[in-house]
This record gives sequence, C-alpha cells and structure tokens, in this order.
Amino acid sequence: MHPILTITGVSKNYGKLTALDGVSFEVPAGAVFGILGPNGSGKTTLLSIILDVLHADTGKFSWFGNTPQTNNRKQIGSLLETPNFYHYLSAVDNLKITQAISGRGDSSDIDKVLEIVKLSERKKSKFSSYSLGMKQRLAIGAALLGNPDVLVFDEPTNGLDPVGIAEIRDLIKSLAASGKTIIMASHLLDEVEKVCTHVAILKKGTLLTAGPVDEVLAQEDIVEIAASNNDALLNTIELMGGFSKVKKHPNCLQLFYPVGTAQLESINKYCFEKGITLQQLQLKKKSLETKFFELTND
Amino acid sequence: MFSLLQIEWLKIKKYPAFWAMLIIVLLTYPAANLMFYNVYLRITTQKGTDMLAKMLLGNPFAFPETWHTVAYISSFFIILPSILVIMLVTNEYQYKTQRQNIIDGWTRRQFMTSKLMDVLIVSSITTILYTLVAIGFSIYASTFDASKIWDQSYYIGLFFLQTFAQLSIAFLLGYLIKKAFIALGIFLFYYLIVENIATGYLKIKAAKIGGDIGRYLPFEISDRMIVAPAFMGRFGKDLKEAYEKSLSEVPTQIILSLLLTTAIWAFCFFMHRKKDL
Repeated sequence: MHPILTITGVSKNYGKLTALDGVSFEVPAGAVFGILGPNGSGKTTLLSIILDVLHADTGKFSWFGNTPQTNNRKQIGSLLETPNFYHYLSAVDNLKITQAISGRGDSSDIDKVLEIVKLSERKKSKFSSYSLGMKQRLAIGAALLGNPDVLVFDEPTNGLDPVGIAEIRDLIKSLAASGKTIIMASHLLDEVEKVCTHVAILKKGTLLTAGPVDEVLAQEDIVEIAASNNDALLNTIELMGGFSKVKKHPNCLQLFYPVGTAQLESINKYCFEKGITLQQLQLKKKSLETKFFELTND
Repeated sequence: MFSLLQIEWLKIKKYPAFWAMLIIVLLTYPAANLMFYNVYLRITTQKGTDMLAKMLLGNPFAFPETWHTVAYISSFFIILPSILVIMLVTNEYQYKTQRQNIIDGWTRRQFMTSKLMDVLIVSSITTILYTLVAIGFSIYASTFDASKIWDQSYYIGLFFLQTFAQLSIAFLLGYLIKKAFIALGIFLFYYLIVENIATGYLKIKAAKIGGDIGRYLPFEISDRMIVAPAFMGRFGKDLKEAYEKSLSEVPTQIILSLLLTTAIWAFCFFMHRKKDL
C-alpha cells in the first residue's frame, strides 16, 4: 500500500534562516502522525509546503503516491495555523464556500459537521462574532466536511477550553478509529502521546527522529529502582554494570539499558546478594515528553 | 469557470460594502449627470443667448450624444468601484482566505482567475448602471428618437474598457500592498492628486519635451479613450483643434489601455504562481 504522504529532502530558507533542512519521512495510511517541535522548529512551514501554500526550495512531496496535484488537496481536510474565514459571513455561508471549492460533501454535511463541532446554535451568526474557541471549532468542522480520509491539523486545540480540548481529543481518537489518516502538529506532548501512532520530532528545521511512537520512545529501557539507602544502592549497582547510564533522583535511581537488555530478575538478585533489599523495581516506558526534551534540549 | 463565478458570488453577495457601493453608484451617476444637465438647461434658457447656446452645444443628453456625455461625466466617479475592488482583494489577505482557498483545493491560477472575475463583475455592473443612466437621461432630456439610439453605443464598450482598465490598477495596488487602508490611501492620493498634477504639468511642458507624454500615465491612458464631449470643443479654433487631436489619439489610447491591462493581469498571475502565500 502506498504511503499517504511521502516527503523527500524538503528544505526551505527565509533569507539566512533555515526553516527546514532536508526533511524526509513517510506517513502510512491509517496513521495518526504527530509532528512535534518547539516554536520555530518548522512544523507549520512543513505543513504549509505539503498544502501548497509555501514553495519548498528543494525536495519534493507526494500525496497518495502522486506528484502534487490540485485534486489531492480537495481530498484532504485541513486546518493550517489559524481559522481563515470571511468575517462578514455566517458559519453556514463560509462552509458553503469551503464545500464549493473542495467539492467535499453536500448541503446536509454542513449541518452534520456543525453538529459535531457544537456550533449548530450559532450557525447563522457572523464569523466575526465568534470567540477564538468557536472559530477553531468551525475550522475543524470545515476540515471534516465530506468526511475526508485524510486530515491535516495544525495545533487543533488552540484557543479551546479544557472541555473543548478533551472533546477534540476524543474526536481525533474516533476519527483515527474509523481508519482515517491524521497528520497533526502540536505543542501538547501529552495530547500527541494519547492519540498518535507515529511521531516526527523537528528542531530548528532538522528532523531529529520519525517513526512509530513505540519505536521512537523505546530506544532505551529505563529501570527504576529504590531502596532504603539509595546512596548505597548506587554504589552497588555501579559495580554491576550493563546499563549505559544511571540517573539519581530524590526517591529512586534510573538505569538506562539498550532496548531489550534490561533484566529485572538479575538486578533484583544481584542487589539481594549484596545485602540490599529493593523497595521499588520497575521497567518504565519513556514518556514522549522525556524523549522530546532529551532530543530538543541543547 | 462558471463554478469560480458562483463561488465569487457566494463571497460577494453578502458583503455589505458591495451593496453600499452599488447604491452610492446608483445615486451618484444620475446625480452627477443631472448636475451637468441643469447647467446645460441654464445656459440654453437664458434670454438672448439661448438660441446661440443651443446651436453651439446641441443637446449633449439626446441620442446618440448621450452615450458620450454620460460616459465622460460618469468616468469621473471610477473611484467608487475602485474602493470596492481594493476591499475585495485586501479582504482576502486580512482574512487569510487567499491561503485557505488554496488549502481547500483551488490552484493559484484559479484564485487569480476568481479575482479577475471580481473585477469583471464590478466593471460590468458599473457599465450596466452607466447604460441605464445614459438611456434614462436621453428619454428624460430629449425627444425620443429610436433611430439614433445605437449610433454612438460603442461608448458602452469604451466605458467598460476604461472602467476595467482603471479597476485593474486599483486591484494591482490592493494585491501588492495587501493592507486596505494603505492601499486606499495610496490609490486616492495618486488618482486624485499626483496624476492630475503630473498630467497638467506635462501638458504645459509638452512643447518643450516634444509631446504630451502625460497621456502615458496609468489612469490617463484609459481616461483619454473617452475625450471631453463634442460641445466642449465648439468654442474657438484652438479648442476645436485640441478636441479633434484627442479624438484622433483614441485608437492608440485603446491599444495602450489593452496592453497595460493585459500586462497588469499577466504580472498578477505570474506573481501569484511564484510567491509564498
């Protein structure tokens, strides 16, 4: 099966500033693909290029295995950076324009998506009278028009209150469960970890890593251990070796092993033989947040 | 193409400034022509000079001369639809819908074609209003003579071309400047002040610099397609000669207007294809 999106060596400069530097990755069909990175890392620039709003200086991309074509974009529901609508028109009139340009869905779809994003009661109000959260909801509604198989969301929870954020997260989960491919840029690592199957991490325009979330996070096994005297435990465990590094925390020690090499039983046995009884022994999955900071901190 | 037109209509039909412009133009064109007509009436009904004035002026509001007279007077108010055109293009930048239209599936070429259609729509509406005013005035101001109705109706085409050419300049300004108020300010300053002063100055210096090069200024190019009506050239030998010279230059001015307008749109299409949005 063709990847939904293939990006090959895409670079973009603004004068001397490198916004993207040879970024390449693939988005498989059915993936919820999170694009992460600090402010200015090139997330929106990358999404703008794949949506033909910006031109790449070098490199190429293709949707659905094709070279860039207008009709490709018509099959993709997109929210890029900010909700962009005609301020003097109502939600319904704005969605009529989206529908007419994209050819996605019919008139009954407009009511359907307004219902999904909870704007039915205000559907005849002018866009200019909407709050930031309502504008964001309308943009998500526009992306959902015609039930497209591919969705691109740039910071979809921007401007939403906590209830709205939870609703959008659930919506994304339910869209993913229905087999849609979702490409999502976000600052909210927790959100991404909850919904994404794949992730790419950018920093200053450079792709640091990309792939399935489990693979990206599971480059190391982390074992957390604790005893009544952690200083003594540290001295003992350093003699055991086998791990790549050890970190001392106030209540525990973290041992980092190459993926698949941590053996809890051996650690427990070694410590017991050295007269130390472990109070805590746990194999921990690295959180996306930990991985993100690890990769993006200089 | 028809779908682009439909989409532009969706954008325009609920835009308050569009209807406001339409109402203002609807009021301005008849009012301005009425003002001139009243001046004509005063001159031609003054005792002692009435017969002479009638002989010299004819009736500029009777068919077929009405096409020319009303086109000339109405063309002073191109500024009204120009403001609308600038608003229509700068709105797309202000609302960032010029990006959204592309994201939703238009090509850049389709977007620019849709804007070209906006300018064509506004030019057509303005021309229709001019046509109605010209016909209405002639019926109101003279004895209706059906045989002469279409004699000078080519002024409809000239008025449309002049309107389209000048609105295209307004569009270019809005497209390049992107901010409504700055674009409007520059447009008004240039249209009302700079070009008028430059045209006047170049006319005075024409003898020294070997010709009236003011006719090549952006608005003047199309302004000179519709010369001042015939009755204005009937006083004195010099004015009559100037009038006839202006008339002889009309074909050149038409070609220049077409070239400038084509160049403007070619530039806009090229820019929009190349630039980041």
